[in-house]
Amino acid sequence: MSETILKVENLSKNYKMGEVTVKALDNASFEVSKGEFIVILGPSGSGKSTLLNIMGGMDTPSSGNVYFNNELLTTMNDKGLTQYRRNKIGFVFQFYNLMASLTARENVELATEICEESIDIEDVIESVGLKDRIDHFPSQMSGGEQQRVAIARAVAKNPQILLCDEPTGALDFETGISILKVLKDVNIKYKNTIVVITHNSPIAQMADKVIKMRSGKIIEIIENKNPIEPERIEW
Amino acid sequence: MKKLDKRLFRMIKNTKGQYFAVLSIIITGIFVFTAVSNSALNLKDSLNDYYKKTNFADIFVSAMGLPEKIESSLIGQADIKEAEARLVFDTSFITEEDDEKVNVRVVSINKNENKINKLFIKSGKRELTEKDIIIIEQFALARNIHVGEQIKIQINGKQYKFNVSGIASSSEYAYIMENEQTLLPDPENFGIVYIEDNYLRQIYGSKGNYNEILIKINNENNLVQTKDFLEDALDKYGVKRVIKKDEQLSHSMLSQEIEGLEMMSQSVPYVFLIFAGIMLSSMLSRIVKKDRTSIGILKALGYQSSEIISHYLKYAASVGIVGGLLGSIIGSALSGAMTNYYLVFFNIPTLTIKVYYNRIVVSVILSCIFCIISGYWGVKGITKINPSESMKPESPKKGKRIFIENIKFVWNNVTFSWKMVLRSIFREKKKFAFIGAAVAITCGMMIMTIWMIDVMDAMFNRQYTEFMKMQYNISFSGFQNENIKKEVAKYINPKDMEGRIELPFEIENGRNSKIVNIIGLDKNTEFYGFQDMKGNSLKVPEDGILISSNLANNLHAKVGDEVLIKNFIPNKDDRYVKVRGIIKQSLGINGYMNIDYLNDKLLDREIINGIYLNSDDDVQEKLKDIKNISSIQSQADMRGAFEEFTTITAISMGFMVMFSGLLGFVIVYSMTLMSINERTLEFSSLRVMGFSKKEIFYMLIRENMIMSFIGIIIGIPLGLWLVDYMGKSFTTDVYTMNEPVRTNSIVVSIILTIVFLSLAQFMTYAKIHKLDFMQALKNRIS
Repeated sequence: MSETILKVENLSKNYKMGEVTVKALDNASFEVSKGEFIVILGPSGSGKSTLLNIMGGMDTPSSGNVYFNNELLTTMNDKGLTQYRRNKIGFVFQFYNLMASLTARENVELATEICEESIDIEDVIESVGLKDRIDHFPSQMSGGEQQRVAIARAVAKNPQILLCDEPTGALDFETGISILKVLKDVNIKYKNTIVVITHNSPIAQMADKVIKMRSGKIIEIIENKNPIEPERIEW
Repeated sequence: MKKLDKRLFRMIKNTKGQYFAVLSIIITGIFVFTAVSNSALNLKDSLNDYYKKTNFADIFVSAMGLPEKIESSLIGQADIKEAEARLVFDTSFITEEDDEKVNVRVVSINKNENKINKLFIKSGKRELTEKDIIIIEQFALARNIHVGEQIKIQINGKQYKFNVSGIASSSEYAYIMENEQTLLPDPENFGIVYIEDNYLRQIYGSKGNYNEILIKINNENNLVQTKDFLEDALDKYGVKRVIKKDEQLSHSMLSQEIEGLEMMSQSVPYVFLIFAGIMLSSMLSRIVKKDRTSIGILKALGYQSSEIISHYLKYAASVGIVGGLLGSIIGSALSGAMTNYYLVFFNIPTLTIKVYYNRIVVSVILSCIFCIISGYWGVKGITKINPSESMKPESPKKGKRIFIENIKFVWNNVTFSWKMVLRSIFREKKKFAFIGAAVAITCGMMIMTIWMIDVMDAMFNRQYTEFMKMQYNISFSGFQNENIKKEVAKYINPKDMEGRIELPFEIENGRNSKIVNIIGLDKNTEFYGFQDMKGNSLKVPEDGILISSNLANNLHAKVGDEVLIKNFIPNKDDRYVKVRGIIKQSLGINGYMNIDYLNDKLLDREIINGIYLNSDDDVQEKLKDIKNISSIQSQADMRGAFEEFTTITAISMGFMVMFSGLLGFVIVYSMTLMSINERTLEFSSLRVMGFSKKEIFYMLIRENMIMSFIGIIIGIPLGLWLVDYMGKSFTTDVYTMNEPVRTNSIVVSIILTIVFLSLAQFMTYAKIHKLDFMQALKNRIS
């Protein structure tokens, strides 16, 4: 049996909106194993981004626990969570969120400068297929290229888990597929655990595990015995 | 280099307009501080050094006649360490130009070395023989006199020829004023000469007597007691004045200048630094707001809030370090020029211009700390940014109605673009209040500066056209009877002529007293235009005294008070007289009495010691041979000296106008730039709706125009307050700055303020023109 890296236990998150309490996350529980490629699938407003943010130490739950390597995240203070994000987690966002005033290489270095065990930057940039664009600024790159830089930035920190929030959401089909391929390659090459959240159901075909969500609840967890190559996905 | 630091440099590059704007204010603040305070320090240190080297007197006593042995009788008493008697009088310097009347003050000195107020020999030698003379440097330079040449001086009705054996400076005459009413040095027409003591007393006919004594005491804390002692001890010799060091004319002018510089260095820079601080804080808080997503990313990457805060604080610190360094370097360099500028007026041979390296370091550290504190105020919100929230688009600001909207009649008649302007102002009250405050300060400082240019002119004109209306003021070497007027009339054709008495008396009102010259005038004098503080004309009263407003302040006297006039003339009594009026007088500090009343009450005889005269004749030439005339002061000469002085002050005032304008310019420019950067999306939407770039620019102009208008309205009373404050601070025994601000000056100040603001506004148009509004609508790179 593979080793559990992240354990989510009865996680809930409520938001107050005026007089109404909105349940963004309702009693979610699941486990993530080391090296797994997980897709969290659900429509807009299903609570998947909230879940990802709590898993990544960017937000705190109203109740429930998250364990990272048996260490309880939900009781950590801000400093502890910062250290967790710094050394254990890598983020990839839908809108890339690169620093506009830094080149591709510098965006990656920005992350590696502060972490404990980074990977060779050249190697990572080559892995995401951006060797020729390494000294370009974000404004000089296409959306797909920017997202590759974002992935390189997350991967270069050598995180144990890569959390990707709709990584293909802002991209066209072909570029989206190429990004998924990069993620899969990274998963294989660097053996990171990858969690992708998406509303795009065909992407689930490439996952080892699919967690389906609706209205803040986990409605189904599917173990995929035969994940397909990203190139074969169509939408 | 760390990547965040790289980002910092690029951030500075991207916001260079605002960065340089705030930098320029810091540089100006630190520059003014360094230049002015270094100049003050240079002057102060050099002056103290000069006084020490020349053994500057602690007390100056003038009397009718002091016996030869007076020095030894005083030393050892009342803490007196040293005493040195001398003979001092003003007389004519004989020139080759017939229409020129030049006066010199002749001072007797020991043939080898005097003990107190030693001369600082610049060329030639100090030792004197009977036929030698030492000339003060300012006079020698102005009249191009060199060592080895011969000069002629009229002494006791006879012309004497002397060999110039030395050119010297004197700590007592670092600033040469003939008297309190001349205000400005006129080295071409008035100088100081030094002649060997025994010989001078012999030819002057003072029967071996002196008329001044210089005193040096052991402990400066005993100054008042020693002064009181001297007044009593020398009473029998007809003490005229006992002056402490701080009241000595040259020293008091220098001290006032140093105090003025110190006051300026402790006020003006802080105005600039406070505005720079607010601007920096506001700039950084807006940058942080704009960088909200980037900050969220940094937090998501594992950066701590403190690391991100220090990243932004480096921006503030860089402004502080660069501003502090450049400001203090420019200031130090210019303080040399500024100190040299004082040499036009002050002769301090020991003047050394030092670069105070420790001050540069202190300025940089202070400016850096100041910027970091201001910056922290702007970036402290970083700790509150939640990384997950920051990724989401910011929720639109709460739109709420502004209070004008409740006044339906007004609001319904306002056009759409004006509605946007008004809402924008009311929703960003702090920002617009800041712009308003900057405009108010700019306008206020302009008013003060323009007033300062005006006030010198007004003071001079008021004194010499409205207050003193004579063309010539002739002084005699002793008391004369009225017959001398007839003698004068033989040489010239006077249009008007009046005799006068001008003598020093001590006026006492309760515990306050002051030694001033009281002038006795014809009761229907045509030569003075007295006005009370409300501007009503006053006549010379039959009895009692009129006193100048600065004297009234000194004595705490008001109209109707009885003041005691203490007589320095031996065997004459002190008398109480009533204050009949307090008058406006720009230059000098005096009392005025009816000449008959003065003679009757204090002198007991019909005498005069000078005349006022109006004549179209060449008075100076025609009267030069009258032996009893000690000096002829002409208004035309005074005007010449004044005009030279105003040219020099105009340059420094020009700098002040520039600094004041810079403040308004920079703040309006940078705040508008910030506004443009923040509202790109809003402006883009307007462009989509069909607004032209010009219309958007006009909208911005209107916002600033309203605040500038309010700023100017507030700036006017602020300026008047500054004028009042400056007037009170600068009013001394020598001049009284109570000139009102002219409407024209206010108008000029407002125009100058508007010019600087318009310049800033037009520079921002370039920015609006360059903005790619369409790109802003689709751009989403953090």
